[in-house]
Amino acid sequence: MSKRPAKKAKASAKKAARKSAGKPKAAKKAAPKRTPKAAPKTATKTATKTPAPHLAGPSNVTWNFKLIAHDTLAGFGGMGEGMAVQVAKDGRRILWLAHESAPKNFTAIDVSDPRKPKVIVQTDLPQGHMRSNSLELTGDIMAVAYQTQKTGQVPAGFELFDVSNPENPKSISFTDCSGAHSRGVHQLWFCDGEYVHMAAGAPDFKPTHELDDQFYRIFDVRNPSKPTEVGRWWMPGTREGDNAPPPPRHQKPALDKGFRAHNTNVYPERPDRCYLGYIDAGMYVMDISDKAHPKPLCRWDNSPPYTGFTHTVLPLFERNLLVVTDESTNNNAADWPKLVWLLDLRDEKHPVPISTCPLPPVDAFSSRGGRFGAHNIHENTPSPYCWHSDQIVVGTFFNGGLRAYDISNAYQPKEVAAFVPPAPALSPVGAIQLNDVFIDEREIVYTVDRFTGGLYILEMDF
Amino acid sequence: MQELFPSPAAGRFGRRQKRERGARIPVTVVTGFLGAGKTTLVKHFLATPEGAGTAVLINEFGEAGIDDALLRDSTEKTVLLGNGCLCCNFRSDLQVALHRLVVDRERGVIPHFGRVLIETSGLADPSPILTTFATDRALGGELFVEAVIAVIAAADGVKTVEKFAEARRQVMLADRIVISKTDIADEEAADTLTTRLRDLNPRARVIAADYGRLDPAWIADAASARDGAAFLAEAAEVEHTDGVKSFTLTEDTPLAWEPFARAMETLIALRGADLLRAKGLLNVAGCRGPVVVQFVQHIAHPPVELAAWPDADRKSRIVFITRDIGEREVRDLLAAVRGLAKA
Repeated sequence: MSKRPAKKAKASAKKAARKSAGKPKAAKKAAPKRTPKAAPKTATKTATKTPAPHLAGPSNVTWNFKLIAHDTLAGFGGMGEGMAVQVAKDGRRILWLAHESAPKNFTAIDVSDPRKPKVIVQTDLPQGHMRSNSLELTGDIMAVAYQTQKTGQVPAGFELFDVSNPENPKSISFTDCSGAHSRGVHQLWFCDGEYVHMAAGAPDFKPTHELDDQFYRIFDVRNPSKPTEVGRWWMPGTREGDNAPPPPRHQKPALDKGFRAHNTNVYPERPDRCYLGYIDAGMYVMDISDKAHPKPLCRWDNSPPYTGFTHTVLPLFERNLLVVTDESTNNNAADWPKLVWLLDLRDEKHPVPISTCPLPPVDAFSSRGGRFGAHNIHENTPSPYCWHSDQIVVGTFFNGGLRAYDISNAYQPKEVAAFVPPAPALSPVGAIQLNDVFIDEREIVYTVDRFTGGLYILEMDF
Repeated sequence: MQELFPSPAAGRFGRRQKRERGARIPVTVVTGFLGAGKTTLVKHFLATPEGAGTAVLINEFGEAGIDDALLRDSTEKTVLLGNGCLCCNFRSDLQVALHRLVVDRERGVIPHFGRVLIETSGLADPSPILTTFATDRALGGELFVEAVIAVIAAADGVKTVEKFAEARRQVMLADRIVISKTDIADEEAADTLTTRLRDLNPRARVIAADYGRLDPAWIADAASARDGAAFLAEAAEVEHTDGVKSFTLTEDTPLAWEPFARAMETLIALRGADLLRAKGLLNVAGCRGPVVVQFVQHIAHPPVELAAWPDADRKSRIVFITRDIGEREVRDLLAAVRGLAKA
């Protein structure tokens, strides 16, 4: 479990791909050196500009949000779905962002003054076929997920970094999750400093279908230099040798996205529960009181007739509600409708959908370019630097922008704010594709574009 | 049904709002008698940065005097202006026109306007317009009247308010009053008018505008602490012509909500037609922030609890504009219901 990502070198790519994991020796050299050296070079040019307060016109909307800064992140503005805030020992507030795809690994931005964000470090991935889509942070330790484009590629797994000196992230350990049938780690959750919950493949896991490779895994990282797997769970029927039959596939090819884990949220209010999005299987509430043997308490699946890809499950504990998101993954709204759902969880074994957050009309967005529909929401991450609300849901909807909903009346969510910026320069789809959102305890909203737009910083004005 | 999923972070009246309008679209109502200069004022406002993204509703295009060159297509009901603004006429039904605007905005077929400005016809009584926004069933869930602005010409303003009850009503119900055309009136006329306006509506802010030019904040700003101060400036009951009175009730100790609400229900049931407008900021027992209440004739706006008090003053204050209902009668009603509730 201690092998590190392979050194970034074209010559090593084929060699590495033949192996099940990167060589520890090469990685030990590469990881600590690569990160700090890359940072100053890539962080020097940062395009920061503040646009006009009101972006008029049907395509661009700034409604009850106030855009205070925009940073294209030194030209590498294609961002994933990992966002976390750290307050460094010197008092600076650092926003850590995962990139959607290679060549960049992660970027740190000093947002102490949210009107003047400043990139302070930007690191590279060792391989072009990798992506570090997800990251989380507890204290000064950050966990970063590594996924590969294809099964069998390396390195794939997760890496822990010491970011006590934000300009100089130091690798603590790399945990290998590569395998003949694994694409590594797509998403991870690390909020208690003790366990990393993740959607990951494994070398010993052979799925019944190649798209079902990532399942729910729990690693104990109390000794961060030696993470140890303590439990795992997969949907019955998705692993070779299961007693259950494989689940019937969703419509191929457009809607067949895999019976695999996505978000693995665990909160201190219920450390014995994992709120698990399972893509084409819907969502599960898991009993993880015994981490060695996670057990599903309930499952809710909206598809078919909906179009699958359940992404995030956010519990609102004191209201007995769940907020469940789909992810739109097809362009031009081909998989519409992708929604944010509210579920009645008064009976933990029988979740009941009671409403959805209203989206703008599909015909106004379907031809704008790229995806349209739900994706990430602000997840009330258990951190002192995260805003928490059980009355407002804020989510990203790709070309539908950023939208906030008042869910005080759970039966009638009401949109209260929207931000749809113009297409970022060089966007391959010609439209904004807002991908993820995080709100800090100062009520500053950070949202990122999936391709080129980088980081948008806003205030909530509602 | 909402009771099934209460949020401990919510107050008695739901989510605490940062401001009274919450997330609703702000509406400014511009009233004024014929020839007062409403259109000039509106046109100047639309050309300012603060006026960008405004949807203007008028009775007739001709009346608004919008330049034909700006009209995209004069046969359309909604036309685009410069500065991200748009204009819509409502010959008969304001509610239908507003509903269509909100829906078209949602559909993205018109610019995503951030403000609605309604220019009333010269003879309009603002009260029915205000009731349009009072309930969710109408448009109160989407739109919020932030200010009623009365425009009155300096030269003949005094005569106008003497002669026409509608003009007096416009002044009495206004939050802000603009004296227009001061450039073509003598100073004495303007002073006389100012005195008369203060007599008719002592709580409104009054400002003069030359050539229709006015600080756009006067139109675009939400009801501010300055407006609140004006509320309190009126210490005693003022009786106007037509039996219209205005007065302010204040209370130093926190109010119990139930007796207050029941007393207002009684007042509305018995004399709703004569309750022209009432608006207040209440210190309600058990509420963290101030509660904004508003009544227009038979309709009570849903109360809104604000997240924080605007200043250190924790007094409840509510302004009434009534027809033939005196301060003492309202005060006695509130006290009687409160007494019964205690018993």
